[in-house]
Amino acid sequence: MEMERTSTLPEVPEEILAGLCPPRLTPEKIQERLSYIIEKDRVAGDLPRRFLEAFAAVLQHTNYRQVIDSYARIPARCSNCACACQIYQQTKAPEDVPCYRSSLLLDVYRRHFTLRGIVEGHLKDTPLLTDDLILEMAETYYHCTACRRCTLECPLGIDHGLVTHLARYVLSEIGLVPRALVISTRAQLEGPARNTSAIPWPAIADTLEFLEEEIADDKGVPVKFPVDQEGREYIFFAPVSDYLMEAETLMGIAAVLHAGGLGDAWTISSEFLDGINYGLFYSDWILERCLREELAQAKRLGARKILIGECGHASRSAKAFIRTFGGGDEAPPVVNILELTHRLWKEGRIRLRPDTITDRVTYHDPCNLARTGWIIDRPRELLRAFCADFVEMEPRGPWNLCCGGGGGTVSIDEIRPYRTGVTGVKKAEQIRATGARYVVAPCANCKKQLREVCEDNGLSDVEVVGLHDLIYKAIELDGGGGDA
Amino acid sequence: MPTFTYGNVSIEVDEDGFMQDPDQWNEEVAKALATTEGVEELTEDHWKLVRYLRDYYQQFGVAPMIRKLCKETGFSLKEVYELFPSGPAKGACKVAGLPKPTGCV
Repeated sequence: MEMERTSTLPEVPEEILAGLCPPRLTPEKIQERLSYIIEKDRVAGDLPRRFLEAFAAVLQHTNYRQVIDSYARIPARCSNCACACQIYQQTKAPEDVPCYRSSLLLDVYRRHFTLRGIVEGHLKDTPLLTDDLILEMAETYYHCTACRRCTLECPLGIDHGLVTHLARYVLSEIGLVPRALVISTRAQLEGPARNTSAIPWPAIADTLEFLEEEIADDKGVPVKFPVDQEGREYIFFAPVSDYLMEAETLMGIAAVLHAGGLGDAWTISSEFLDGINYGLFYSDWILERCLREELAQAKRLGARKILIGECGHASRSAKAFIRTFGGGDEAPPVVNILELTHRLWKEGRIRLRPDTITDRVTYHDPCNLARTGWIIDRPRELLRAFCADFVEMEPRGPWNLCCGGGGGTVSIDEIRPYRTGVTGVKKAEQIRATGARYVVAPCANCKKQLREVCEDNGLSDVEVVGLHDLIYKAIELDGGGGDA
Repeated sequence: MPTFTYGNVSIEVDEDGFMQDPDQWNEEVAKALATTEGVEELTEDHWKLVRYLRDYYQQFGVAPMIRKLCKETGFSLKEVYELFPSGPAKGACKVAGLPKPTGCV
């Protein structure tokens, strides 16, 4: 049963009803804006045909078809999602309403992949997929930060985040991917260093040695970063950028594991140590390949659990999909470091000095940890244990606002003005309202974005840190450990 | 590939103005690249940072961890930003002729 495509609900903006074709943006404007997105050598020739071939292949070989088919039977024009979308709230542009964005792909499906669409297309001369529409999709699906806040508001249960993911997947199959994501993923899966930041192993080894020396200097305790140890409980995957940017986060994590008696229960793999998985943002092929690398290292070293560092998408991609690619019940459990640290604290195995941090602290929920309700209260309990002045942002938890750089967009430096001047503006207002000195963001992606948001929105006194950066200051280290 | 020209310097750069071939780097190139970062004159402090980055890159093929950069050069992160307004990864590394960092950096 397919419902009428054009709704007559009175409150729907006219632009949504009328706005499908022709595209609202001129081809010249899209071309100009898309310069960062296209892998120029791969994008040539008959775009619509290639898009439809890729779409058909994805529909044939995956389970997306039944989801998309049911979404395509719903008009999806009520725009309730507009209230939840921080991008639409900022731009008030009809093309930023999540259900309008989804309708671009769903209309292609309706027109080209349903009997009704094909028959009607012949009778009524409905427009076919065009170059312009594909370019509009390539732009608009990367204007979305895939935060999925709109899914909380959709009365019809449409997961616009999934539609964005599927659209990006199909676009990636014809070469329409942000250059920054492609380069990073190639460095990780095909480059000699095997990580997204192309850091050769000797540099990582030098960094680990440096971090051990720093902890010894700060705390007087020999805390180790174990490498290639076999038969350990946890194999640890941080977002590799932490090895360049986030010394305190890594030192805090090592200190927690050491103090909690797990100093000999974890290891890093020298062969593949990057938890980043950009596949979650644009390609199920990449998603699978990154997870298979993690699984292979767990197997090689005989580790029983996969421990992910402070990174939202690395955590969600592993947590949600490890069973898909890791043999179902055979797959090792996935644990985020926040969960483990909280458990060690709850069990009394680590101690955090009360009131270590006296400046005001607030907590930013990474979408990939909080939207589904996975990790919300635990980091707050930890922070309250050692922060004298902890305040909340509103809204928060599953209703949090995105940092503005989700869905891989943070890696695209070319769109920084968009990220900090459009998608991140509401976040800046939220942070400003707390009056906090520290914004705790346990996610490499959010950290980078929030620092840029603060810098570009006049919040120069705010420091963006990881949860373990502050834990590092508060944890009691006595040279113990080793009772694992 | 874009070519960046300044004075006698002419080098190939990527879309973000980072050098394509880090082996072509020399002090003249550094001075030229600095102008794209809003740094009109490289002071001794600038050179200290640039030389440390350069040495580390030649040894390890990548920039050092930021904490290590600060510790080894004696500059706080704030001071690094004062020297290179777009920061250590984008500003200082560019002038030192390192390739643009990838991933979540």
